[in-house]
Amino acid sequence: MIRFVLARVLQSLVTLAILSVVVFILARATGDPLHLILPMSATPEDYAEARRYLGLDRPYVEQYFSFVGKAVRGDFGTSLRARKPVIELIRERLPNSLKLAVFAMGVSLAMAFPLGVMAAVKKGTGIDRAAQVIAVLGQSLPTFWLAIILVEFVSGRLQWLPAAGNDAGLVSYILPGFTLGWFVVAGMMRLLRSSMLEVLDSDYVKLARVKGVAERRVVWLHALKNALIPVITFAGIYFAILVTTAIVVETVFAWPGLGRLAYEGISSRDFPVIQAVVLTTAALVAAVSLCVDCLYAVIDPRIRHAR
Amino acid sequence: MKRASRTLVVSLLFLALASVVAAGPGWAQGKTDLTVALSSFSTEVLDPVLGGHIVKYYLSMMFDYLVGTTPDGQPSTSGGIATKWENSPDYKRWTFHLRKGVKFHNGDDLTSEDVKFSLQRAIGKRSTTGYAGPLRTLIQDIETPAPDRVVIVTKEPTLIIPTYLSRSLSTEGMVLPKKYIEANGDDAFARKPVGSGPFKFVEQVTGAHIKMTAVDNHWRIGTPKYKNLTFRLVPEETTRIALLRRGEVDVADVSRERVKELEKEAFPVYFRKDEAILSMWVVFGPDGWPAPMKDKRVREALNLAVDRNEIAQSIFAGKADPAAIPLGLSWSFKDIGLKVTPEMTYPFDPTRAKKLLADAGQGGGFPLDVYAYQLPGLPEGKAFAEAVAGYWEQIGIKTKVIPVDYPAFRKNWVDRKTPGAIGYFNIANRDWIGTYALLEKQAYGPSKANDTVNDAEVDGMISQVMRQTDREKINTLMRNIYTRIRSEHYGVPVVYLHSAYATSKTLGKWNPGTVMYDLFFDQLASSK
Repeated sequence: MIRFVLARVLQSLVTLAILSVVVFILARATGDPLHLILPMSATPEDYAEARRYLGLDRPYVEQYFSFVGKAVRGDFGTSLRARKPVIELIRERLPNSLKLAVFAMGVSLAMAFPLGVMAAVKKGTGIDRAAQVIAVLGQSLPTFWLAIILVEFVSGRLQWLPAAGNDAGLVSYILPGFTLGWFVVAGMMRLLRSSMLEVLDSDYVKLARVKGVAERRVVWLHALKNALIPVITFAGIYFAILVTTAIVVETVFAWPGLGRLAYEGISSRDFPVIQAVVLTTAALVAAVSLCVDCLYAVIDPRIRHAR
Repeated sequence: MKRASRTLVVSLLFLALASVVAAGPGWAQGKTDLTVALSSFSTEVLDPVLGGHIVKYYLSMMFDYLVGTTPDGQPSTSGGIATKWENSPDYKRWTFHLRKGVKFHNGDDLTSEDVKFSLQRAIGKRSTTGYAGPLRTLIQDIETPAPDRVVIVTKEPTLIIPTYLSRSLSTEGMVLPKKYIEANGDDAFARKPVGSGPFKFVEQVTGAHIKMTAVDNHWRIGTPKYKNLTFRLVPEETTRIALLRRGEVDVADVSRERVKELEKEAFPVYFRKDEAILSMWVVFGPDGWPAPMKDKRVREALNLAVDRNEIAQSIFAGKADPAAIPLGLSWSFKDIGLKVTPEMTYPFDPTRAKKLLADAGQGGGFPLDVYAYQLPGLPEGKAFAEAVAGYWEQIGIKTKVIPVDYPAFRKNWVDRKTPGAIGYFNIANRDWIGTYALLEKQAYGPSKANDTVNDAEVDGMISQVMRQTDREKINTLMRNIYTRIRSEHYGVPVVYLHSAYATSKTLGKWNPGTVMYDLFFDQLASSK
């Protein structure tokens, strides 16, 4: 097991190293940040001075190694736009994104579990069809549209819930959390439904029924436990995705998270921020994948023996 | 199965229950708070020398300027640290008499040493403010003969010093605490700024908000009407409007197309009339005007082909007016005595435009790249570019609309990499000094990088303005510059944009003024 974990950690580090090169090159390929930082009236001398002051006049190789050397010590440099250490910005934003993702995942689980199980148990009935409709809606409604509709009606017109920010406590999580989690509900519910159908048709479930075990116990204990393995993988991967791809939701709900930071960084060519956000999210995805793999290996010994 | 059903019902009701619990005015702002929702904070920096112009929206409430300005942009002896100023006969020494008894938020006295330090910092190499460059070139020395007196010595005779250090332009005139910055360093100051304005800094969460709290009493506004002032960054307009409806914010910038809807709901909407001119220009080649734009007839044809009234109505929901002069910043027109006559306005005349093209040997049209991008305050950017390109198609020009983001266009523009292509900007309106500063960069050949006009006659007049100290002669020069730019069709002025700001129904009267990037929240907070 330790060998398996070490191998996966090594893989993740190699991935991060490759990614650091890619993001370093791509960030610079997007354009010159000074065109946004300096006023329209800036002279060529102003450009040269700003480039020197911000360290952008050094050769790319030197800039890269300086970036990597500092990054491994947690120093991602200073934001060209906000003129603050990037690590401070990440520290400010990452917890907000994590909390929102936890809430969104909670919403997804709370909706997907009962729907998925009931759709499987009541296959072909109205409940199953309703679950299918929810699944289609979940995957087809654009997140941006859903977010705007919720802000416009639930918050603006009905005035039930806050429209923006995260400083109103738990209630401020409801609309962005629901919007973010809604997309996951569909996938998770469908996966759980098909997994449950497979398990409910297995011999050991049939045996349990023959032995007279109560149907409720068969479904919620024996069947669900075994149907969960693919769902755990799905939820793990999607949790990382929720943290890292919430740009639209964070923008509409003015949520100060990592997605917004990434958007601000990209739109202002803020290289240090872009690099730090990409590497942080990549590290997060790698860490979650590693955890899921380990969990999977624990649940199913065939996986670790196969490596 | 009953249990499963129960779980389902409970889960589905989860949000509804939370909604009910959460309903009500629990987050509504109290009367002690003034909250402003803006779509952009620009760089979000709190150090005036690190920002451009747009940071003025919030920094003007935290800092005082050396020279105050009235909401309509006129220098004011009652709105700034200087209560009076005078120039030497040769216009090379400007003496400013400072307000006595002014203190920074940390209790330090504001003296001439702070003014000197602030100005040196504003023109220092680290500064990225709008007018650091011209001031750096102009200022020779700063003397502090007394704690309440500062003398700025310039290399050349000039009239611009008071305006350049006033609230009407950028942030160079903001007075910063020398002792605090020297003791704590630039980074500490940028994180926790100390000013002398009516509101002091409390907290910044980048990407979310800037919070300030009022001082007990301030010479600018008396006892502030609001205890707290918060600027919230809310990029999405629907969200800003929802916040307004919920009473969570008191002021929000809104797009022109949502104005009718808000007015129908009885929300007061204030306009900053002519806040910006939306002007298009040609990207130069290394040697200036590229063909076929070199030909005046082609430039005139481009102007005559555009129906400005239709653009104002259809793209900008009627909240715009046709513009007649390239780079024509109309807030300066009254300063310099320029009247835009009916003859100066461009009629919509595609027939004549076609004839002009034919006369110029371009009857078969020519390929023209039009860059399309959105800008802060111009969400209609791409639609606008497509509309203008459509008009040019009508007279036979083969336009190609290229969607990019503004930095990509700006790089092509200043690097002169795509000669003959067309770009645009919603240039913030400003007074004559600000207008001069813009012309010096965009219409003065020797400036090169940002040049959009290449004309020796215009260059000659612009170079005289800076050295001239007779105001009447300056006005004449400025009028002549504009007349020349208009008669030669150096660009395509399209419309003046009016910017809309909606307020809560209980906020009361507000004059957002006509000062560049400054909404004069002073008036809302003032008890005077």
